[in-house]
Amino acid sequence: MTRSEAGRLGLALALAFLSCVLAVPPLAAQAAEVTGKDVLPILQKNCFQCHGADLRMANLDLRTPEAILQGGDSGPALVPGSAEESLIYARVSGQGQPQMPMAPLPALSGHDILVLKKWIDQGASWNAADSARADTQAPGDKANASYDEYVERVITDEMRQWWAFQKPVRHPTPKIADSRWSANPVDAFVRAAMDAKGLTPAPQADRNTLIRRAYLDLTGLLPTPEQVDAFVNDASPRAYEALVERLLASDHYGERWGRFWLDVVRYADSSGFEHDRTLQTAWRYRDYVIKALNEDKPYNQFLIEQIAGDELDEPTDDSLIATAYYRVGPRVRFREKANPHYRYDYMDDMIRTTFQGFMGMSVHCARCHDHKFDPITRMDYYRTVGMFYGHVSYDHLLGPKEEAQEWSRRKKEVLRAIAPLEKAIAEIEAPYKRQEFEERLKRLPEDVQIAVRTPKEARTRGQELLASQFERNLDSGDEDAAGMGIDLGKIVFAASDNVDYRTSALPGGALEFAKKSAAANGRPLAPAGQRQGGFKPSPEDQQKIKALRDQIAALEETVPELPPAIEGVRDGDYRLAPNGPGDNLQPGQYDPAFGKIENTSYVPEPGQKFVVPPVHFTANGMVVEEDIKAPVVEPGFVTVLAKGDEAVARPPDRDDYVSSGRRRALAEWIASDENPLTARVLVNRLWYWHFGKGIVATPGNFGKMGVPPSHPELLDWLATEFIRQGWSIKQMQRLLMNSETYKMASSFYDADNIEKDPTDTFLWRYPVRRLEGETIRDVILSASGQINLEAGGEAFYPAIPDSVREGYQAGRWILTKEGPETWRRSIYSYWKRGMKLPMFEVHDQPDPNVTTEKRNISTVSTQALTLLNSEFTLLQARHLADRVVREAPADLSAQVKRLYRITISRAPSERELAFALKFLNEERELLAIRISASDAVDGVERNAAQAALTNFAHVMLNTNEFLYFN
Amino acid sequence: MTPLCENNAGNNQRYISRRDFWFKAGMGIGGVALVDLLARDGLLAAEPASGPGSCLGSAGITDSPYLPKPPHFKPRAKSVIHLFMSGGVSHIDTFDYKPALEKYHGVALAGGIAGVGGDGEIIVRQGYPGPLMKSPFKFKQHGQSGSWVSELFPHMSTIVDDLAFIHSATGKSNDHVLSHYEWNTGMILMGFPSVGAWVTYGLGSENGNLPAYVVLYDHRGGPFSGPTNWHAGFLPAAYQGTVFRPVGDPILDLKPDAQYSSVEEERRKLDALASINQNHAEKHPGVSDLSARISSYELAYRMQGCAPEAIDISQESEETKQLYGLNDRVTAPFGRQCLMARRLVERGVRFVQLYSGAIVNQNVDTWDAHGNIMENHTMHAAEVDKPITGLITDLKRRGLIDETVVLWQSEFGRMPVSQRALGRDHNPGAQTVWMCGGGIQGGQHIGASDEVGYQAAEQIIWNHDIHASLLHLLGLDHKRLTYYFNGRNMRLTDVHGELIPQIVGATGKETATA
Repeated sequence: MTRSEAGRLGLALALAFLSCVLAVPPLAAQAAEVTGKDVLPILQKNCFQCHGADLRMANLDLRTPEAILQGGDSGPALVPGSAEESLIYARVSGQGQPQMPMAPLPALSGHDILVLKKWIDQGASWNAADSARADTQAPGDKANASYDEYVERVITDEMRQWWAFQKPVRHPTPKIADSRWSANPVDAFVRAAMDAKGLTPAPQADRNTLIRRAYLDLTGLLPTPEQVDAFVNDASPRAYEALVERLLASDHYGERWGRFWLDVVRYADSSGFEHDRTLQTAWRYRDYVIKALNEDKPYNQFLIEQIAGDELDEPTDDSLIATAYYRVGPRVRFREKANPHYRYDYMDDMIRTTFQGFMGMSVHCARCHDHKFDPITRMDYYRTVGMFYGHVSYDHLLGPKEEAQEWSRRKKEVLRAIAPLEKAIAEIEAPYKRQEFEERLKRLPEDVQIAVRTPKEARTRGQELLASQFERNLDSGDEDAAGMGIDLGKIVFAASDNVDYRTSALPGGALEFAKKSAAANGRPLAPAGQRQGGFKPSPEDQQKIKALRDQIAALEETVPELPPAIEGVRDGDYRLAPNGPGDNLQPGQYDPAFGKIENTSYVPEPGQKFVVPPVHFTANGMVVEEDIKAPVVEPGFVTVLAKGDEAVARPPDRDDYVSSGRRRALAEWIASDENPLTARVLVNRLWYWHFGKGIVATPGNFGKMGVPPSHPELLDWLATEFIRQGWSIKQMQRLLMNSETYKMASSFYDADNIEKDPTDTFLWRYPVRRLEGETIRDVILSASGQINLEAGGEAFYPAIPDSVREGYQAGRWILTKEGPETWRRSIYSYWKRGMKLPMFEVHDQPDPNVTTEKRNISTVSTQALTLLNSEFTLLQARHLADRVVREAPADLSAQVKRLYRITISRAPSERELAFALKFLNEERELLAIRISASDAVDGVERNAAQAALTNFAHVMLNTNEFLYFN
Repeated sequence: MTPLCENNAGNNQRYISRRDFWFKAGMGIGGVALVDLLARDGLLAAEPASGPGSCLGSAGITDSPYLPKPPHFKPRAKSVIHLFMSGGVSHIDTFDYKPALEKYHGVALAGGIAGVGGDGEIIVRQGYPGPLMKSPFKFKQHGQSGSWVSELFPHMSTIVDDLAFIHSATGKSNDHVLSHYEWNTGMILMGFPSVGAWVTYGLGSENGNLPAYVVLYDHRGGPFSGPTNWHAGFLPAAYQGTVFRPVGDPILDLKPDAQYSSVEEERRKLDALASINQNHAEKHPGVSDLSARISSYELAYRMQGCAPEAIDISQESEETKQLYGLNDRVTAPFGRQCLMARRLVERGVRFVQLYSGAIVNQNVDTWDAHGNIMENHTMHAAEVDKPITGLITDLKRRGLIDETVVLWQSEFGRMPVSQRALGRDHNPGAQTVWMCGGGIQGGQHIGASDEVGYQAAEQIIWNHDIHASLLHLLGLDHKRLTYYFNGRNMRLTDVHGELIPQIVGATGKETATA
């Protein structure tokens, strides 16, 4: 079915509803008195959509007689007692223009018009109960309405007129007399807005400020004093431009800007929820993002790879890695097959992230009802689900194809060879298990013993239940491991978190905490491995088992090392998924509730038929049997933006790969030059990331609940320029970084400006703002000179106090100590959904479970405590002091100057120098007492002068000038 | 229009500092004046906090997200103590007496009793449900209210007339973690702000020298899902719960490690820092964030004195310590948590959350009695029974009970059917929650579960209802307490929440009048 056919389905539903209404005998028309109760359903059905709770077109609200009397832009809509004189009657009866409801909505039936006329002629009586009912929502708005209750809201031309749905128009650049503001079009727009408000722009910032700002902004690192000097003394008129070029070309650029993208795509290194398992290959996706930004991959291509990198005609390792986009969100990863509603939550996560993140549209709000504010229907939501529905989790092997194939072949062979050996072991163990069971049974309550000993056919239902709990594991072995087997060769990681940190003795594994806790309870902890069951085979049988196990081990060793892989996606049938953790369906089985399944395998092989599993309207996975009774919704695009003739599928042109191509169609639609939102949303995000506020202050919402753009023409100009420049992000940043707007001073003050624009919405000065927690950590390391710039690869575990881990023990975390291996850039640190690094947490690290629209910037004392007292900062203050002495050995003044130049990229004023020297001298005297009384610290004797300098260095790391964009 | 409909990305008005407010009111003042203001308020170079007196209130604090904010209407209570029993307390073995279970012991639930359990299969978390199982504990009626309590809680049974029991609390998930989210954040998914974060966003704190929202978890470790239970979600980080540790410095990084620095050095550093930051702020007039940050350092310094004082139970009398069971190895750990909770609310902390149960050895260290209800619940009930009773008794005699709401709950109840003969699996269908204080009528029994305690049957209560009622007692209208995030003005209760009339009482109309 095409989209328009799907539309017909919606229409069919609507007609079904209407006929229901019409089937009611036309009593009202004949009845002596027509009341509000009779009229209400007519108004509700035909009028509220545009003149009700959500929308008041022409400022008209038709929900109560008072409001109808009050009327809208055309005056009172009702004259009680006279339908002929009432505007509402004139408009619906066709006697007045324009006729209502406005096309393409259907006109009122003759019956309804008659009821309305009678009601008005009789005086328009209405009681309070009717008003209460009028507040109830129109059918499409009703939350969780079933499919036969649902009427899809009609998307009108007026709804399509919303500014963000119009293709951006390239407005002419305003003429600005001031030559400083006329060269760069960005400046011309900004200055024009300032002029319109009568605001005075700040002068340009000095060069020290500019280089620090540019370094922090583009690389998240500090310039060295030498780099600052070189720039400050560069006589070239293009010195700043050249600086921007150098920074855009730096490998560290992607490390800072990648972090922002990871916020948008709700990236983390663990799955969240109870188990919070490690996403073992997620780091490859993180590295992909960094690399894509460094290479300035065109943004449209960047999006297409993430949404459909596996469906391209010629996928690359990078495009396959990009599909991890789907997998890095929060996932339960336990008994997922027993809880089919999880899949719908995951779909919702993908829809939210994709549409809010890339298009500023809250399609996810229409999951249970038509969108309350924007013209997005619940049917649109399910059409969108359809676009994503074909994909399943799939671990792509990377690198040379031959190696991957060879690995899969060998792995399958070995698995096949091992199976009979495992079976043989189970057979040997079976009698011992039975014996052990008998022993155990004797210790169980009597009713259990009786239940088990009662012959199966003679058991009561209660006894059956009781006995089955004890008998079920007799043959299958370890109860907890039941169903943990994975369909290797297709899914490498899906079911695994290789290391179980609950029983692992690794540092940070829960075992060490478990031991501590057991001691606190006064009960020793059973050693790991004992829970396997206490049966002891005879020596001969033990020998046999050992021999078999040796054989298995030998076979496993013949499998070549796992090639690099990525936990990404491809098309397939989720209903046929291999078991994951906690799933206990037998291999090859699937939930019978799904009914007949046409596909024959989880992921289709070339030559196999593949149809995307059907999406049923209103399906939510709570009761699958109910879900599949509802009509099937065909995939499609959100109606308000759709032209109607777009292809909903673009299968890859390849013989060796079967895929529906729906995600590719979606990706190409989102990343199209014609899409009115995608380019706008990204240039707005760039603006927000550079200036701390967006042109649209709600970067994830360009709908009615968002804030309208402060500079609409600039936004449009930037969007068209972005497309014109081949979706080059760096090209846009070049434009912004080189603008006067960007180069303005932050320290400018103008009482008149403050009066007119206290929040600096119109950018009359550069906005001072705090660095993010990750950047604070990076610049502290950058200042101390201890930063470890090793790029990419698996995440590292920053040092945390044991007590933090003690409070949260799910999943993986390796406890580490402060040291160079943990002093890598923050973007490479392990992001655990359930537990944040305290330094990041107190500084408003966004929650990685949903796409980040904006980061909060709050100010709270725990931030001060972290920067004052954490071992990390205290240690780095020492390293900074040592660096200062190393680089400025001459005297104390030189050291103070060096310290200023390292941390805040400028020399101290004379007053500041004097203040610092006074502090250092006093501090040295005060510390001499303590130092002489104490032993060496860390094996290194620190004298009072070093300690004093450390304290001052620590102060500098805490200053606002250090921690803020200035 | 309702607040939900306002087009307003900037209406997160409960995170507005006093100075921002002035700016928004068009009363911009320069940086120099700001620093003057700080000095006048005695914030710069404040005297080190020494005694409890200087740790009370918010005097002298000009700029902090914890500053008290006016409620929507007259509140009944000022603070909350949330007692969370992690792992799943069996309602039918504690407060929800089901004589029918004795009658039906050994009978299958599904199809076994008319009107209960349905005909289909009973779905239990770990699969393989057993037949119905009677409680191994004896029940007796207590107090004037004649409330049934099992022998697990000999102490709590003496205060039943102070407690309002809700027997029909219902949840959506039989997963520990999702249920923790559900009760702690209103939503079953990760990432939403916790109740305590909403409350402190709404009201700030009565004490600016301490975190507004404090969490004290089990001495054995954190509960299921750890910090997600008390984080701030999309609210500013300032409103997340701060964990107080029972030994050593209560707050992470409260003081420098002695091998690096000392508190005296820190005072000198702070003075130098204030001076440098002051100069910087003067160069950036009208940037309120900069001065807010100057204040935050002074508050951090005050916290260094005030936080340890707040939980220093050595100041308590021997009699009080015994009241909380500190003299007994079994009750001492949770007793300490309860006593600290009292000290914290006494000092104006808005929201204190206590956990019993740590996930280290899940089936032993939490209330998660899959294998053996007798062993597990006997152990945990003994740990909390006396301390909780001591807490309520102490709050009453100090006159704190009327301004403090105590909420006791678990993430779900447990199944009336057995698991592995002696244990019980998770049951989100029904649990018993009790509330106390804040003027709530004690001795009430609200709602009811079915004959065997499988599902809530009368006056079904959802998490949203309890959250709405809790906010109401604090003077907040759950429909008006909103925060703009990702396109919507979000609420703790999402689009749900009905006040529980028996909890909010006759004053339930306040919402309409304010």
